[in-house]
Amino acid sequence: MTASTKLRSFLSEGILEIILVLFCLALSFTAPGFLTAENLLNVLRNVSMQGVIAFGMTMVIVAAEIDLSVGSAVAFAGCLTAFTTEALSGDAVGLPMPLAIAAAILVTLTVGFSIGAFTGFMRTTYQVPSFITTLALMTGLSGAAELITNGFPLTPFPDWYNFIGGGYLFGVPFPALVFLLTFAALQFLMNYTSFGRSVYAVGGNAEAARLSGINVNRVKVLVLGTTAFLAALGGIMQSSEIMSGTATAAKGWELDVIAAVIIGGTSLMGGVGRVWGTMVGVVFLGVIMNGMTLLNVSEYWQHVVRGALILIAVLLNLLQKGKGGR
Amino acid sequence: MRAPIHKLETVSLRKEYPGTVALDDVSIAFTGGKIHALIGKNGAGKSTLVKILAGAVQPTRGSVLVNGEDVQLRSPRDALERGIIAVHQELSLVPELSVGENILLGRLPKKPGFGGFVIDWRAVFGRAKEILESLGIDLDVRSRATKLGVAQQQVVEIAKAMSYNPSILVLDEPTSALAQHETERLFEILRTLAGRGVVLLYITHRLHELQRIADTVTVLRDGSLVGTIDIAEASPSTVVHMMFGETLQRARPADLVARKEPLVVVRNLSKHNAYRNINFTVNRGEILGIAGLLGSGRTELLRAIFGADPPDEGEILLEGKSVRPNSPLQMKRLGVALTPENRKEQGLVQLLNTRVNLCLASLDRISTRGFLTRARERVRVERNVRDLDIAVANIEAPIAYLSGGNQQKVVIGKWLNTEPRLVLLDEPTRGIDLQAKQQMFQIIWDMSKRGISSIVVSSELEELLDICHRILVMRQGQIVGEVRPDEISLDKLFAACMEERT
Repeated sequence: MTASTKLRSFLSEGILEIILVLFCLALSFTAPGFLTAENLLNVLRNVSMQGVIAFGMTMVIVAAEIDLSVGSAVAFAGCLTAFTTEALSGDAVGLPMPLAIAAAILVTLTVGFSIGAFTGFMRTTYQVPSFITTLALMTGLSGAAELITNGFPLTPFPDWYNFIGGGYLFGVPFPALVFLLTFAALQFLMNYTSFGRSVYAVGGNAEAARLSGINVNRVKVLVLGTTAFLAALGGIMQSSEIMSGTATAAKGWELDVIAAVIIGGTSLMGGVGRVWGTMVGVVFLGVIMNGMTLLNVSEYWQHVVRGALILIAVLLNLLQKGKGGR
Repeated sequence: MRAPIHKLETVSLRKEYPGTVALDDVSIAFTGGKIHALIGKNGAGKSTLVKILAGAVQPTRGSVLVNGEDVQLRSPRDALERGIIAVHQELSLVPELSVGENILLGRLPKKPGFGGFVIDWRAVFGRAKEILESLGIDLDVRSRATKLGVAQQQVVEIAKAMSYNPSILVLDEPTSALAQHETERLFEILRTLAGRGVVLLYITHRLHELQRIADTVTVLRDGSLVGTIDIAEASPSTVVHMMFGETLQRARPADLVARKEPLVVVRNLSKHNAYRNINFTVNRGEILGIAGLLGSGRTELLRAIFGADPPDEGEILLEGKSVRPNSPLQMKRLGVALTPENRKEQGLVQLLNTRVNLCLASLDRISTRGFLTRARERVRVERNVRDLDIAVANIEAPIAYLSGGNQQKVVIGKWLNTEPRLVLLDEPTRGIDLQAKQQMFQIIWDMSKRGISSIVVSSELEELLDICHRILVMRQGQIVGEVRPDEISLDKLFAACMEERT
């Protein structure tokens, strides 16, 4: 490899990272207060809950599936946590608050995983596309959240519960730490385990994977389950941040999450994608939103810019692939 | 008035694909009023020729003349305008539409006025009926295509082709799905067409049909024209000789002996509409061939043994232990491997690189408690590349960059990494060059010496004669014979595979 081809491959492989760095540089000069530790940690905190889910979504999309229900799952998980906490700490059961919350979190995470596993079960047993099942869940879970909260936010939480979504550990927002940990875990899972390898194979060519003796059904159930589990985790963190179980929270998150994954270079056709790419995509979206807010760009424009960004990112990706020559 | 006699010629046609020459300097002339059979084994260049005539692909060099005029066929539309129509083996009717609509699809007559938007149904069915009647076919033009049998659908395809009033009609294996009497009916229709001066090009694998339908026989082999002979000269042995050429005996190792220890016993394996009552034994280290035509059930049988499409009935004894094949995962764990017929789509994940593909079937062996390390992968991958002589510059490069032969070696390497006892090879040499074929034989022989048994399915019968210890003949889902390569000649084996149902 000559120096110039090396440089070219670095440029095309890392195009998104380069653009992100340039963007940050530009913002440091133009946006007041962008380049401060406080603001940057703020960006990280803002993206952390969606980001956690985006790592799971990366797996799902690499496996050539999709999960449209994550936004509703977040709301549902928040409400379920509040509902369970209220029920367990109330007079009827009378558990002490810490125990009630711990139990509620456990219940929520378990239910979360089961919902995703259900999507996987429908996919592998009845060949119902995950698009359809999760579309149904998107409405269904949203309604279920309204049902258990009766349409009003539930607020059973004590003050200290706010730590999960709003607290700091070693000067870093706690949700940001969860975000970084999730990144590390999924980065490892996808790159250094036979499970991760199977996910790529299943998404790249499910029949070839099956004929290689890979348990395709198990892979699909597990990736969908994991992602719904992470959505439940996001929901718990959000309920802590807003200190309530609110059925209308996290509206439209599924689109932000999928957008971050796509910007990060993951192919909707499956088989191609990196957890690191999603990390960059998530941060990219966060920085753009933060920068525009600092620059007083109207919220309407922010939406337009975000839409344009998704298109440009996908276009860049496709052009780069075309050059790779296949 | 007599119909004009059309004429089709190809002049020095050549078609190159990356890495292969599919057609080389092919010059043939076909005259109208006759039925010309075009034959050749797989990869001989028949389908490339058909695609060029149909305008689907462009030749690298050479030209096509219709009635003496050089026609540039850049698209299927060009071919259509020149009166060339190809009816492909796969039927292309729209199942939910009526026979009449299918025949006139895309050209449905419209009622005058209404801006030309309103279909004139009376004209549709009237015109379609006319076309069918002119071919002597009695079919309800209003019945939906999905209700027709395969033979009738085939006839509708031909009627559709005729509705374009072609001067040249190419039929790609039209009888492969037809029963005896249906075939006879089709032949009558073709005779009618020939009587109108149409050039009829008829591609078939069924050599016994030739005497009944063809006037001339043209043989292609490995992309080149072997020759055209009159049907009177086309005895089966002459035709087979033209198709296969002088088959050179490949260097088969003298010490290639299978032990007399049964490894696999297949018992009463049956699957509806695929194969029935299959029984045979494979000894340790034995190379067992299965000879049969496309559709004889050979691929389905291999997939059944591998658990990819579980059988309806029957069992397999692996070293005496009874197994019902249920999934590839289960059979892999029992030491069975399959290199599928279609390696690009089923054998490999094209999006992934060579290293990952080589390790794909043996992830649980390579990993420790689910964790992968590059070092352990590299050991295996390097051994594969060395032992199988895989020509790959960079194991991290996409598998799509490898040639067909090297991709096939990757599929085999992937399975050798699982340390199998039985390897099922479906068309292992399809579409790979001569040198790679020779290497593939060597790999199969080497496996045999190490005690690994193989079952090889191949359309290339001469290859089975070269590499196998024993060959089973499969026909219409049943095993109808067993031969040893040194006891049978190529044309006898070919005849055994072809024989008609009685």
